[in-house]
Amino acid sequence: MPAEAKHSMKTKLLLAISILGVCFILIQFVRPNIDNPPVKADFEAPAEVKNIITRACYDCHSNQTNLRWYDKVQPVYWKVAHHIKDGRKVLNFSDWKSMPIADQKGKLWESVNQIIQGAMPLNSYTMVHTEAKVSPADLVVLKNYLSSMVHSKPADTAKTNALDKQYKKWQNAQPAQTHLPTEPNGIAYIPDYKNWQVLSTSERFDNGTMRVIFGNDVAIKAVKEHHINPWPNGTIFAKVAWDQLQDTAGNVKTGAFKQVEFMIKDDQKYASTKGWGFARFKTPKMVPYAAGNALFANECVNCHRPMRNNDFVFTMPVKH
Amino acid sequence: MKKLIYILLAVIVVTSSACDRNKVKNAGELNTKASLPASLNFTSLGYKVITSSINKKLGTMATLYGNKQALADAITGNGGTKPGEEFALITWKQQDDERWYGAKIPGELQSIERVKTGAEGVVDYKCFDGKDIVPHADTLHNAERTKYILSQQASVMP
Ligand code: HEC
Ligand code: HEC
Repeated sequence: MPAEAKHSMKTKLLLAISILGVCFILIQFVRPNIDNPPVKADFEAPAEVKNIITRACYDCHSNQTNLRWYDKVQPVYWKVAHHIKDGRKVLNFSDWKSMPIADQKGKLWESVNQIIQGAMPLNSYTMVHTEAKVSPADLVVLKNYLSSMVHSKPADTAKTNALDKQYKKWQNAQPAQTHLPTEPNGIAYIPDYKNWQVLSTSERFDNGTMRVIFGNDVAIKAVKEHHINPWPNGTIFAKVAWDQLQDTAGNVKTGAFKQVEFMIKDDQKYASTKGWGFARFKTPKMVPYAAGNALFANECVNCHRPMRNNDFVFTMPVKH
Repeated sequence: MKKLIYILLAVIVVTSSACDRNKVKNAGELNTKASLPASLNFTSLGYKVITSSINKKLGTMATLYGNKQALADAITGNGGTKPGEEFALITWKQQDDERWYGAKIPGELQSIERVKTGAEGVVDYKCFDGKDIVPHADTLHNAERTKYILSQQASVMP
C-alpha cells in the first residue's frame, strides 16, 4: 500500500473514532427516567431467602432498584431501563402482598424455576453484576423453602363436595354446546380434546393439581416420527387440570375439574407469541381466562420461556 | 479499569442481542423410559382417557383408558358393566420433572392391566409387567384388581 493511502486510512479511522466519541458523549444526555415508587407490600420470607431474592432480582423486579454508576452509562442505560420497565411490569416484589396468596405461591415457584433453568436473573445482567448470581447453595435454600410449603394431606369435605356437585351436572348434561367461549386472540374452546391421544401426565405438587396432556393427530404423528423440535404447524396440545383428591392411604384421584389450556402451533399466525396460540378456559363453565386482556398470552410465554430451545414446550412426550 | 472492561463487555453483550443462553439439556427428546412398547400398538386401539391417579406411598402414577362403552359406563358410575367393555390401566414409576421443580411425570413403565367384559358377566383380566410386557405370573390379586378397575369413576372433562 502506498504511504499516502495508508495515511488517509489513518485519518479516516481517527475521524470515525472521534465521531463515535462525540456520539457517545451526546447520548449520555438522552436518559429515560427510572424512579423508585414507594414500596407498599414488600415480599416477605425468612431472611436467608429474602436476601437471595433481593440481591439477585430486586434491581429489575422491585421499586428498590439500585443502579451502580456503570449501569448509568449509555447505551447500557437504555437496555437497563428497558429491563427494569419490563421486569417490574411482569413481577414486582414491592407489590408482592397485594397478590392473592395462591398467586404469591405460584409466582415463587415460577421464580425458582426460572433460576433453575438459567433464565433468571438475565445473563446480560449477571455478567456485569456478578454478585447477583444465584449459587448452587442459594438454590438449595430456595428449594428447601418451597418444599416446606408443600402439605400433602387427605382431601377435606369441601374438595369432595366440589367434585360431587360438578360430577352430577356433567354426568347428566353431556354438553351440547352451541356457542363456544372464545379467548381475545380468537381461540375458541375445543370440546374434542377428550377424544385425542395422551402425550403425558403430571402430578403438580407445587399447587395440588394433577394433569393430563393430550395431543391432536398432528401432534401424535410428530411424536411417532420424532419431529418435535420444532413441532409442526397444526399441532394442538390440550392440558387438563384437576384438584388432587387424596385418601388416607395416599391414593390420589382426580377431583374437581379446574381448567383446560390449549397451545396451537402456527408459526405465521401466532408469530408474536413464539408461534403458539395460547388459550385457557376455567371451570366446567369454560370461562375464558383473559376476558378483555388481549396481551394475556405474554404471561404464558414468559413462564414457558425457559423452554425456548425446546419450542417453548415443557412436556416430554411418552410414546403410546 | 476493571469496570471499564465490564462496560465494554456489556456493550458487546447488549448489541449482540444473544443475551440469554439458558438451554434445556434434553430438548427435543421423548420420554423413552415411560414409552409403551411399539409391539403393543396402543394408539391403534383408539381408547380414550377415563381417569388418572397417583399413589403417593408407592410413588406411582396411572392412567385408565377404555373403549367407548367402557368410558360411557365409567361416566354413569353405577358400578355395573355391560358386555364389550375394554379397559387398560397403565402404571408408571414416577420421576421428578427435570423441567419443572414442583412436578412429577411418568418414569419407568411398571405394568399394563387389561380388562374385557364378555356376555353374561364374564370378565377377563390380564396383567403385563414392565417394558417387555411379561405376563404377570401371580394371579392372586386378579379379582381385586378387576373390581378396582371396573369401579373407577371417570374424570370430569367438559
Ligand atoms: C436485568 C433485569 C432482571 C433481573 C436481574 C431479573 N429479571 Fe426476571 N425478568 C426481567 C424481564 C425484562 C422480564 C420479562 C420477560 C423477558 O423479557 O424475559 C422478566 C421476567 C421474569 C419472570 C416472568 C414473569 C411472568 O410471569 O411474566 C419471572 C418469574 C422472573 N423474571 C423472575 C426473576 C427472578 C426470580 C429474578 C432473580 C433471581 C429475576 N427475575 C431477575 C428482568 C430481570
Ligand atoms: C407459572 C408457569 C406457567 C404459566 C404462567 C403457564 N404455563 Fe403452561 N405449562 C407450565 C408447565 C410447568 C407445564 C408442564 C406440564 C405440567 O406439569 O403442568 C406447562 C404445560 C402447558 C401445556 C402443555 C404443553 C407443554 O408446554 O408442556 C399447555 C397447552 C400450556 N401449558 C398452556 C398454557 C397457557 C395457555 C398458558 C397461559 C394462559 C400457560 N400455559 C401459562 C407452566 C406454565
